[in-house]
Amino acid sequence: MLTHYKRTPTQKVARGFSYLFMALCVCVALFPIIWVVLSSFKTNSEIFSNGLSLPSHFSFDGYVQALEIAPILKFFANSLIIATITTILNVFCLAMAGYVFAKKRFRFKNTIYAILSLSMVIPTTALMSPVYNIITKLGLYDTKFALILVYTALNMPISLMVLRSAFASIPTELEEAAYIDGAGFFRTFIQVMMPCAKGGLASAAVLTFLESWNEFTFALLLTSSTDNRTLPLSLSYFTSQFSFNYTAMFAAITIAVLPSIIVFAIFQEQVNASLTAGSVKG
Amino acid sequence: MKQKNGGWIALFLAPACILFILIFAIPLVMVFVTSLFDYRLLPRTFTFVGFSNFIQLFTEDNRFWPIFGNTVKWLFIHCIFHVTLGTLLAFILYKKPRGWKFVRVTYMIPNIISQSAIAMIFLNLYNAQYGAVNSFLKLIGLESLQHNWLFETATAFPSVTLTWFLFAGYTTTLVLAQLLSTDESLIEAAEIDGATSFQIDRLVMFPVVKKMIGTTVIMAATYMLQLFSMLYITTGGGPGTDTTNLPLYLYTTVKANNYGYANTIGVVIILLGFVTMTLIRKIFGMNKED
Amino acid sequence: MKMMKRWLSCALALVMLLGLVGCGGGTDEGAASDSGSESTGDEIVINYPTFQVGTNTAAPVVAELVNRFNEEYAGQYRIEIEEVPGDANYAERIQVQISSGQLPPVVYGGGYALLDLALEADLVVDLTDVVNADPEWAAMYDNDAWQAANCRDGKIYASSSEGQLIGYFYNKELFDQVGIQPATTWEEFFDNCDKLLAAGITPLAMDTADGAWVSMLLMGAMVATSGDEGLEFMNTKYPTDYNIEPVVNAVAEMQKWYQNYTTLDAVGGAYENAANNFFSGNVAMICNGPWMIGDFSDTSKTPEGFDQNVGVATYPGGFVYDAPIEGMFVTKQDDPALEEAAIAMVKFFTSPEAQTLALEMQGMVPAAASVEITDTATTNFPLLGEFLNMASECTVRSNTFTGNMVPGLQDLFSAELPNLANGTYTPEQFCQILTDFATENAVA
Repeated sequence: MLTHYKRTPTQKVARGFSYLFMALCVCVALFPIIWVVLSSFKTNSEIFSNGLSLPSHFSFDGYVQALEIAPILKFFANSLIIATITTILNVFCLAMAGYVFAKKRFRFKNTIYAILSLSMVIPTTALMSPVYNIITKLGLYDTKFALILVYTALNMPISLMVLRSAFASIPTELEEAAYIDGAGFFRTFIQVMMPCAKGGLASAAVLTFLESWNEFTFALLLTSSTDNRTLPLSLSYFTSQFSFNYTAMFAAITIAVLPSIIVFAIFQEQVNASLTAGSVKG
Repeated sequence: MKQKNGGWIALFLAPACILFILIFAIPLVMVFVTSLFDYRLLPRTFTFVGFSNFIQLFTEDNRFWPIFGNTVKWLFIHCIFHVTLGTLLAFILYKKPRGWKFVRVTYMIPNIISQSAIAMIFLNLYNAQYGAVNSFLKLIGLESLQHNWLFETATAFPSVTLTWFLFAGYTTTLVLAQLLSTDESLIEAAEIDGATSFQIDRLVMFPVVKKMIGTTVIMAATYMLQLFSMLYITTGGGPGTDTTNLPLYLYTTVKANNYGYANTIGVVIILLGFVTMTLIRKIFGMNKED
Repeated sequence: MKMMKRWLSCALALVMLLGLVGCGGGTDEGAASDSGSESTGDEIVINYPTFQVGTNTAAPVVAELVNRFNEEYAGQYRIEIEEVPGDANYAERIQVQISSGQLPPVVYGGGYALLDLALEADLVVDLTDVVNADPEWAAMYDNDAWQAANCRDGKIYASSSEGQLIGYFYNKELFDQVGIQPATTWEEFFDNCDKLLAAGITPLAMDTADGAWVSMLLMGAMVATSGDEGLEFMNTKYPTDYNIEPVVNAVAEMQKWYQNYTTLDAVGGAYENAANNFFSGNVAMICNGPWMIGDFSDTSKTPEGFDQNVGVATYPGGFVYDAPIEGMFVTKQDDPALEEAAIAMVKFFTSPEAQTLALEMQGMVPAAASVEITDTATTNFPLLGEFLNMASECTVRSNTFTGNMVPGLQDLFSAELPNLANGTYTPEQFCQILTDFATENAVA
C-alpha cells in the first residue's frame, strides 16, 4: 500500500511524533527483557555495585547454577504436559459442543448456550475458594490432573465461541453430502467437519495453550509439590534460594521467558490471527 | 434436515456441560450460598449467619473500602488510559510507517510471556539496591530521588500500576487487525473529498473500530478483575493495603481459612464485574448480541 | 500461510510427543495418592511430603534418616519422600489436606499450628500409650516447654526433634572498628548502634516480608525483657490483645530502627535480603538461630574466611528464645498397619540418636535437654558450643512473637509493617490493627 497522504508541515510533525511514539513503545517492551538478559551475564558483585553496567565478560555460569538451584526443567516439563493435555482436551470437547450448537437443532439449545456463555462474564478469581474446595474433596489437590481439569474449564467460554462460529461458517451442503454418502454422525464430525474447521481449531488451541501455559493463580492455589508446579510459579517459588545468587536468578528468568518469545516470533502470524478470532463476538 | 440424533447430541454436549457444572455452576452456587455462612476451618464452623458477612465487610472491615477503591481505580485507569495507549499505537501503525511490523511484534512480547515473569522482572527493576531505576537515577546524579519504589507508601501504587499499564499489545493487535481489514475505498473516498489524515482517522476509521475498542475495554476490565500474580509477586499488596485488590484480598482470606468471608468478597467481585460489563456494553453500543 | 500451518502442525505433533513421553516418565510419582501408600508385597510405603529438601538446612539430615530407617525396616516399612520446597508452602498444603480430611501419615508441625488444626479436625493419633511404653521416649516429655509444644489436654500427640534457641550474630570486624562489645542492657545495645552509625556502619539487618522474621526477633526480645507482663504475653498462645504497654513500646522502638538503623532494602525485604546484607558485611548484626552457623562458612553465600569474623550473643536482659518446634505427629489412616509404620517413623526421627545426628551434621539444636552436646558437634561448629554455653546462663526464655499468633495474623503483620516503618501508623494504631484481627479470628 502506498501512502495516501499529502505531506504538509503539520503532517511532518505528526510523522515525527509517530516515530517517536513507536520508538518509545519498542523501548518499553524490550528494555526490561534486555536488562534481565544482560544482568544474567554479570557477576553478583557487578549487579550489586551498578545495576546498569554491562557485563565484563560473557559466561553461562549463571545458567548452570540456576538449573542446579531450581529444577526449572522439571517445571518446564510440568507446564508442557499440563498445557498440552489441556489444549487437546479443551479443543476436542468444545469442538463437539461447538459443532452441535452450530449445526444441530434440539430443544433448549439457546437456553443451554446462554447458560454456558454465562461463564464468560464470571471473574474466575471469585471462584477460587469453592474450586479449591471441590478439587480437595475430589482428592485432586496437588495433582496435574486438577490443573488440567480447571484449565480446560477456564478456557471453555472463548473456545466455545471460536469453535461455534468456525463450524457455523461451514456450508451445510458439505455435511448433507457426507450423510448421503452414508457416513454416521460421529464420522461426519471427525472426517468432514473437523478438517473444515481447521482454522477455528488452531485458534482455540493457540489461545488455550497460551492461557494454560501462563496461568498463575489456580496453579498457586491447587498445587504445592515440585512434581506438579508449573513454570510461572517456579520463579517466585525459588526466590529465597536465588537471593544469594542474583546472576542465577536473572538466568532463571531468562530461561523462563525465552522459549515463549522464540515460539511467538516464529508463529506470530498464527497467534495474532487467533487473538483476533478470539475477540470477535460469536 | 431432521435425524434421530438425540443421543449423539447429548453425548457431544456432555463434556462441556460437565465441565461447566463442576468448575463454574457448582462453585458459583457455593460462592453465593456460603457467603451467607460463617464457614471456617479453625475453629471448625458452618453456621448460617444471613447477611452479617456483608454487613461486616461493608461497615466494620476497615480494610475493605480501601481495597475496593484500589480495584475500581485500577479498572478505570486500565479501561481508559491503557486502551487509549494501545489504540493510539494502532492508529499510527495502520498507516504502515517504516518498521510497523517490527513494532507490532515487539510490543506484543510482554503480553505473550507469563505475567509472573514480568512481575519478577519489575521486582528487580525497582529493587532499591541494584534495580535499573535507582541505578539510572544515580547515573544522572539524582540520588536524592531514589526510592524503595514498590514498598514506600508514596510510590507503591503508581510503581506497581506501571508494571501492567504500559503493555497494551493486545489492544494494539486487535484494533490494528480491524483497521487493516477495513475497505481501502472508504479512505480513498474521504481523501478525494479533501479530508486530512486526522479527519479520516477521527471521522472514518474510529467509528469502524469502535466496537473492537469496546471489546478491548471489556478485555481490559476482565484482566483487572482477575489481576493477581502481578501484585502477589511484586508488592504482596503492601504497604498495608495500598496495593491490594479484591482478588488478592480473597486469596489471603482463603489462606486464613475463612471461607465464608472469602466468598462474600467473591460475590462482590462478581457483582462488580457484572456492573462494569453492563456499563461498557452500554457505552460502546454493544448490547445487540450476535 | 500454508507453510505456517505445516510448521504449526509439526510443532504441535512434537509438543504432543514430548507431552506423552513426559507423562510416561513423570506422572507415576505425581499421581501417587497423597493420603497414602500403596503396599508392594508386604512392605508398607510411607509417603512423606516434606519441605526439608534442597537447600533447607535439615535436608541432609532427613535424607540420612530416611536411608537409615529404610535399611533398619527393610522389607517391612519404606519411606518415600515427596519434595515440597518452602515451609510456608508445606504448611499451606497440609492445611488444605486437613480441610479435606486426607493427611499424609506423618506430618511435621513446625511453626504453623498444624497440630492444633489437625486436632480440630480430629485427624491425629493419640501417642500417649506408645510413648509411655518406652521409658527413653517418655523421658523427653519431662519438660514444660516440650509438653507445651507436643501435648494437649494431658495427652501426647507429637514428638519434637528440633529445639528453637535463638540469639543474634554480630560482625566482629565491624564491632572492633568501633571498639564495642555485645551489649548486656538495651541501653548499651542502642548505644552500640549509635556508635556504629557514627562510624558509617549500618547496625541492624531487618526485613518486613514473610513474617519479618529478623525484625520480629529483636522486637520480641524487647517485649520479653520488659517485665512480667511482657514475658507472660510472649508465652501466651494466640494472644488477642496487642495494645499492652510492653508491645506498644517495643513496636515504637522498632519503628525507629526501620528509620535509622537499617538498610534501604529492609522495608519490603525478606529474611534472605537481611541475611545477604549480613553476609556481605553491610550490616553489623542479625538476629537468627544457630542453624545459620553453617552458612557462614558456605562460600557460595559468603566471602572466604567470613566465619572467623562472626560472633554470637544472647539478648540484653539475659534473654534467649527457647521453644522446641512443634514436632512430628501421626495422622489417622484407614489402614492400621500404616499407622503403626508412621508411629515407628516418628519414633525413629525424633529419637535421641536422630537428634544427635542432626546436631553433628548440621549444628541443629536438639529438642530434648537430655541429648548431650557432643564434642564432634562443638568441633564442627565452634560457634554453636559458644552459643549453647551462653544460652544456658540465660534466665528469661520465651516463644517468638509471631510463633504465638492466630493463623493469618502473621501475613497481616508483615503487610502492615511498611506502614509502621514509614510512619503512616503510630505504634498504637499498628498494635490496634493486630488486636482487631486477633480478636476477630480468635482461636477458642
